[in-house]
Amino acid sequence: MFEIEGLFIKFLLNFFSNLEINTFLRSPQNTATIIGGLIAISGALLGTFLLLRGMSLTSDAISHTVLLGIVVAFMVLTQLLGQEPDLSSPWLIIGAAAAGVATVVLTEAIYRSGLVKQDAALGLAFPLMFAIAVILVSRFVQDVHMDEDAVMIGEIGVAWADTNSHCLENCEAVTITPDSPEAEFSRQCTNCRELGIGPRDEGAVFSEQCSNCGEYSPAQAWQAGLLETEPLLIFWPKSITVMTLITLLTLAFVLVFFKELKLSTFDPALAAALGFRPGVLHYALMVTISLVAVGAFEAVGSILVIAFFIIPPAAAYILTDNLSRMLVISSLIGAAGAYFGYDLARGSVLGLFQVDAVLRGLNRAFDLKLAETWNSSISASMVLMMFLFFFAAWVLSPKYGLLSTWLRRQNQEKNFDIQVILAHIFNHEGTDKEREELAVGTLYHHFRWPASTTRRMIDQLLSNDLIYIKDGIVRLTSDGKERVEVFRETQLARETVIQ
Amino acid sequence: MLPGFSPEDRRVWLLIGAITLITLLFLPYSQFVLGVRYDYTLRTVAIGGSLLGIISGVLGCFAVLRQQSLMGDALSHAALPGVAIAFLLAGRELGFLLIGAGVASWLGVQFIRLLTDTTRIKQDTAMGIVLASWFAAGIALLAYIQARPDASQAGLDTFIFGQAAAIVEKDVRLIAGIGLATMFLLVLFWKEFKLITFDAEFAGANGFRVNLFSTLLSTLIVVAIVLGLQLAGVIMMVGMLIAPGIAARQWTNKLTQMVTLAAIFGGFSGGVGAIISALDTDLPTGPMIIVVAFLLVVISISIAPQRGLIWQLLRQRQDQKRFAAQMVLDDLFHYAYDHDSLSTVVPESFLKGMRGSAVKQGLQQLVNKDQVQPVNGGWQLTEAGRQAAADNATNTLMWDLYRQYNQTLDLPLIAEDRQRDIRELLPETAIHKLEKILQEELA
Amino acid sequence: MKSKPETSENGETPDALVIDDLTVAYNGKPAIWDVDLRIPEGVLTAIVGPNGAGKSTLIKAALQLIPRAAGTVRFFGLPYEKARSFVGYVPQRGSVDWDFPTSVIDVVTMGLYGQLGWIRRPGGKEHEIAMYALEQVGLEDFANRQISQLSGGQQQRTFLARALVQDAQIYFMDEPFAAVDAVTERAIIAIMRELRDRGKTVLVVHHDLQTIEEYFDWVTLLNVEVVASGPVETTFTSEKLRQTYGGRVSYLYEDKVKKTAEAG
Repeated sequence: MFEIEGLFIKFLLNFFSNLEINTFLRSPQNTATIIGGLIAISGALLGTFLLLRGMSLTSDAISHTVLLGIVVAFMVLTQLLGQEPDLSSPWLIIGAAAAGVATVVLTEAIYRSGLVKQDAALGLAFPLMFAIAVILVSRFVQDVHMDEDAVMIGEIGVAWADTNSHCLENCEAVTITPDSPEAEFSRQCTNCRELGIGPRDEGAVFSEQCSNCGEYSPAQAWQAGLLETEPLLIFWPKSITVMTLITLLTLAFVLVFFKELKLSTFDPALAAALGFRPGVLHYALMVTISLVAVGAFEAVGSILVIAFFIIPPAAAYILTDNLSRMLVISSLIGAAGAYFGYDLARGSVLGLFQVDAVLRGLNRAFDLKLAETWNSSISASMVLMMFLFFFAAWVLSPKYGLLSTWLRRQNQEKNFDIQVILAHIFNHEGTDKEREELAVGTLYHHFRWPASTTRRMIDQLLSNDLIYIKDGIVRLTSDGKERVEVFRETQLARETVIQ
Repeated sequence: MLPGFSPEDRRVWLLIGAITLITLLFLPYSQFVLGVRYDYTLRTVAIGGSLLGIISGVLGCFAVLRQQSLMGDALSHAALPGVAIAFLLAGRELGFLLIGAGVASWLGVQFIRLLTDTTRIKQDTAMGIVLASWFAAGIALLAYIQARPDASQAGLDTFIFGQAAAIVEKDVRLIAGIGLATMFLLVLFWKEFKLITFDAEFAGANGFRVNLFSTLLSTLIVVAIVLGLQLAGVIMMVGMLIAPGIAARQWTNKLTQMVTLAAIFGGFSGGVGAIISALDTDLPTGPMIIVVAFLLVVISISIAPQRGLIWQLLRQRQDQKRFAAQMVLDDLFHYAYDHDSLSTVVPESFLKGMRGSAVKQGLQQLVNKDQVQPVNGGWQLTEAGRQAAADNATNTLMWDLYRQYNQTLDLPLIAEDRQRDIRELLPETAIHKLEKILQEELA
Repeated sequence: MKSKPETSENGETPDALVIDDLTVAYNGKPAIWDVDLRIPEGVLTAIVGPNGAGKSTLIKAALQLIPRAAGTVRFFGLPYEKARSFVGYVPQRGSVDWDFPTSVIDVVTMGLYGQLGWIRRPGGKEHEIAMYALEQVGLEDFANRQISQLSGGQQQRTFLARALVQDAQIYFMDEPFAAVDAVTERAIIAIMRELRDRGKTVLVVHHDLQTIEEYFDWVTLLNVEVVASGPVETTFTSEKLRQTYGGRVSYLYEDKVKKTAEAG
């Protein structure tokens, strides 16, 4: 990991100075937005295929089981192997992702046994995995990065503080031994603890001990004042590295196998017949999803992550009919959700207004005594922002939105009503009953609308030059006739469906 | 012997009695032998826990049977923002918190329905959207509440993982009151609920107001979820809801018995989970209840008579043994018949491909009866074998003819069981008629 | 241009499809049993039989979409792995999600994915081939339409166009006439005939006994086992039909006669 970070930094140094990079990354907002954005992009790409396969809730299953995987891997590494694993340790990530995939296989097996229905199998598996993980966390794990709160919401807000320091210039690592001139010594009792006596008791043995001996990295050495020239340092948040790698992997997977993923999602039988192994692709997808869920755990916890898989693709699904565009749009919505979500957590809604003002207003209006500063969870706010975008897409989508569907239906009804009038005129024009059926004054008798509505529609038809009035009788113009004929051809002569 | 009870009924009631007895014995055992002190607090917690377990177990049966388990999951997650808003408006008053939770859940359901009705988004995705965003709203509100200077929010986040120790006597009374009301409704409309659960279409055709009762039942399920939140928490509530029902389903095919069993399973896991976690405050209650309930499910799935995995395995082996010989003989005969000579040597790989591991048993039995013999790597029918196989084939043909002509010949109706000899099942006159047609067919 | 082997060792053209001893079992119950089948090159074949007779199972097993319990299948003398490039498959219309965000032309292009192999993307040439196929089924005006906005018959024709671009030698079609309009039925049968006239072999799972004689020149009667297979004139007899359908087929016809009489 450390070496890979070095590569990233070297690449970035082509464009920015070290100072700029450090300032940028030390802002909690920038780091949180980058990590949130990366999770959102990889989640949106994979979630799109999940949605189209009708497997959205599989991300729910995976995120719950991945938690158990992380906890178990964490415990194995600490207790059995005596390591101090980081959530960015590759072994932990691989182990936990494997647990996620294994459980997908297991739930598939359970409902194939036929004893329990699929929904019940999933409904039982989620909380069980989660329950075991929570019991383990609360009983057996004592670690700052692993408590119930972290499980719930993650620590994306403090991700900027957990860094690796990379030294670029004047990198002087310092080792202080008892012989070094900088070594400091203090007298310490060497057998007090063993014998359970105080330093003043009789029999206490003392020796001189070096209190600052050890190895100092350039950053530590500079902080301890051991160096004269300041080393050129870059502090790189660890979470960014892991999530960047996972996002690159996801991106590569989706880009390289785009054609294969599309085919096996749309028509698995044809994919199999053409030799594309849909089963292998299915499990490759599950592995990638598990990796993203593990990588996202530290930042957003194990429940909110499912929003990153489900909500942006659902929004894009409403907005477009093209798979490539759906992938791009859902990534953009996810990333925008991450960006504006940070602002929301700090009280600003899209920069339009402040939540604090709303709270103040509520207090004034209803005398509620609410606290008037809004400061909330970053990860949850990112999800809320995505939901807001989803909601906007649902209402406003030009093709499938609530608004456009409603308008279209209104329009259709109106159009249809006009056609009814035109057809009525067409049918009776020139017949014996013409005067009876088509008189301007009594025309409304023949329709289901009140006289005023009919009058208004007649006026509209007149102004559109579709009808004219002669001798108090309504007649079709040539345009009007054409309109009726087109309608008959296109709408009435439909293909009949043989059942 | 009790009159009017089938052996299956007796077994279920026996099981119910046994579990009740164990629970009753466990109380003095834990008190006097294990030294658990049932002080006032623990008693409250235990009673509250089992009451909630009973309510959610009973109503969970309907969620399981109506295949709404995942909906239950979405609903319980969706309750969280309601709890938070109710707290902001009215403080930590259980009644208000539950109303808030119920309203939020209900809004979630409506949103899911609206979404699936007006877009091409499918139900599972819609549930995922509501689950995640409602939950996020709840978390955001909780974070806001916890940032307040006065620490009056104590105990609110127990709604996430559940905390039995937070239940006080007033709460138990409220739970018991609402629980009694739901049970009353359930008994009152039992017939209707049963019908719409098993066959909504039929119920509608028979003039039952399906929508009304369906909504009522869903509402009761929401009530059960909301009540249970304090004990099991929003994330794990669905487990407490459905696990007792799933376990009970394995033991019986009757709704009454299933619901009774689920009540007992639910009460047991709720009570035990609450007691364990109350004794050790580090342990959230929700996970303990889920683990206990899941153990009940595992036990039920493995050992329940008829449906249980162990019984299924045993039955499969028995069936295999009983039918292996006949199946293999049939396979041999067909293969040989299709290859023009009954003395054809049939490769063993073909038999294995058809029947798998049962082939060995079958062949062994046939060899014992002297009906087949091994011939260089394959198997061949002996004279006795050909006779037996031909008899079987005739039997199959007779069954075919029975199916074809039972209406025209006005034959008595019998269940098709081709493994049995049709001559034993039909009266002689019917057999004669069929044999006559058989002669014509063969000629 | 890919090619199929023209001759076998003894110099004769091998049959388009040869199935030997094919058996498929679900949970120990045979869905198709010991099927032997020979379909010569260049015929239009209907596979008919009652519900649950294993018609779709036969096709799927031949294309290795479901595991076989026993038996071998050869296409022009080759096993499926080697024959893949000249076998075309049209699945049942209901087997896919028509809400999928993709266009008609895109679905048709999918038929070329097999020739492209892994990773390579379709380009201009593939687009042209797909357009040509769409013209053949009369859907050229619908090329960029989203697939959910097609009628059932247009969806079926899209699938047909997809099979056409595969430029296969032998086509398997699973119930292409199920619930389609008259226009589509005519279009499908016209294309099938054209394929046949170009020397291709077409196998169609079919359930309408009344159109067999009009549409097809070869028929396979299936009811778990193959009851008969051969040219329609000699194979499609009431005797063989009764063997396939049991007494039911005559009831079916009596019923229809009665209904027609009542209606008239």
